[in-house]
Formats: sequence, C-alpha cells, structure tokens
Amino acid sequence: MKATVKVCALLASIFGATGAWAESAGPTDPQIAAIVVTANQVDIDAGKLAQSKGHAQQVKEFGKQMVTDHGGVNKAATELVTKLHVTPEPNSTSDSLKKGGDENLAKLKGLSGAAFDKAYIDHEVAYHEAVLSALDKTLIPSAQNAELKALLVKVRPAFEAHLQMAKQLQAELSKGT
Amino acid sequence: MTALRLSRLWLWVLLACSVVWAAESPRQAPPAVHTVIIENMQYSPAQLRVHRGERIVWVNKDLFPHTITAAAHAFDSGSIAANSSWTYVAGKAGEYAYGCTFHPSMKGTIEVQ
Repeated sequence: MKATVKVCALLASIFGATGAWAESAGPTDPQIAAIVVTANQVDIDAGKLAQSKGHAQQVKEFGKQMVTDHGGVNKAATELVTKLHVTPEPNSTSDSLKKGGDENLAKLKGLSGAAFDKAYIDHEVAYHEAVLSALDKTLIPSAQNAELKALLVKVRPAFEAHLQMAKQLQAELSKGT
Repeated sequence: MTALRLSRLWLWVLLACSVVWAAESPRQAPPAVHTVIIENMQYSPAQLRVHRGERIVWVNKDLFPHTITAAAHAFDSGSIAANSSWTYVAGKAGEYAYGCTFHPSMKGTIEVQ
C-alpha cells in the first residue's frame, strides 16, 4: 500500500508539471510529441520486463498487450511527427517520465514472484490514471496541430481500457494473496 | 422483304430478352456486404442483423491489433492488424456475441437470420 502511494505521488509530481503548463502557455507540439513518445516507451519497457519476469500468466499477457498497444501508438505518433516535420523536443515532463520509468524498472528488477506482479500492476494503474489526467487537462487542450490533437483523442480510449484491465488484474491479484 | 421482316422480328426478340434479363438481374446481385468499423476500442455498429450468406467485413482503424472472437469460437478472426480487415460469411442462423480477446471491454453481436 505504501509503495502504491509512493508510485502515485511520483507520477503526480511528473504529470503535475503538465498541470502547471495548463495555467501558463502549455507545452508546444514538439514538446507534446516528446511526452507522448516517452510515455509510451516507458510502458513498453515495463511491459517487456513483465513478459519475462511476471509470475501469473495474466500479468505476462497484460505486459505483452502493453508492448503491442503502446508500440502501435508510438508507431503512429512517429509517423505523424515525421509527416508534420515536427522534431520531438525533450522537456521537463518527458525527462521526468524517463527518469520515473527507469526507477520503476530498477525497482521491478529487484522483485520476483507475486511481489513483482503486485508492484508492476500497481504501477500500471497509477501510470494509466496519470496519463489520462495529463491527456485531458494538458496534452489534448494544448495541442495546436489538428492531426496531433486527433491522435491524442484517438489513443485516449486505449489508455482507458488499459486502466480498467489493470484495475481488474489488481483486484484479482489482491484476492490471491 | 421476308428477310427484313425476319430481322425486325429478331430485333423484337432481342429487345424482349434484354427487358427480361434486366428484370431478372437484381435477383442475381451478389449478397449484401456489411461493414463494421473497429475504432476507439469499439465495434461500430456493435449490433448487426444480417441474412445467411451475407458478408460482414470488420475494418480495424485502431492503431493496434484486435480480434473478432465469438463465444464458443463459432467464428474467430485471430489477430487483425491495424489498418487491416477480416471478412466473415454469415452461416447458421442465430445470435452470436463476440469480443476482442486482447481487450475484454470490447463487445459486439451479430444476429444471423
């Protein structure tokens, strides 16, 4: 429980930066592109680890699904920024996301069995909640290019579905312990 | 003169045949094709009523794969990649609930009459 609170606080602080943006000018399209690509990559890396280190079969399958779905989103995002001649611009939010992702991976690598499954899924719940909040409050409202905005709107239902899947798994895992 | 009459007769016969053919041809039209769009983690339309022998095409407009998997595997597309489609010809009459094995929140129904 303590760990979950810590994860939530970390993600809130990362995406809190996007909240602060909402009050000022907001991130630019190149900054949004960097945030989107990093956010997806962080979850792909965690998913790959869950595929190999996950204990329960459902956790392995969930990890695989994250790799597939976020991989598809990143492919589309990369194709769009290439087409629009937008170069993703690293910024404080994308840097924090990368740092948070690396810390999560380091922590998960030190765990095994049911403890790994719980830590991974708890992080997935907090991560998807934080990304949905950032999409709604900052990224979608700030996007200037219509196609970039449309892509953000298009990926939102996938993040919502992943959140529900992660919550379902979280409930199942807690029953098993 | 007789030859001219005969050729006129043939013209009338040909004309009559073409009228009959035109009247018949709608009955020979290929079975209807129904399209279901997969986008935003939803099947649209989610409920579809078709007749036996008609084709249903699911077009995946999402950015990642989905499946069309009926209960008891009455039909199963397997993985449909992004920007790809899958076609199924409605067979036995009945109501078939289906979903995506990758994303359990996605649900649809096909009623075959």
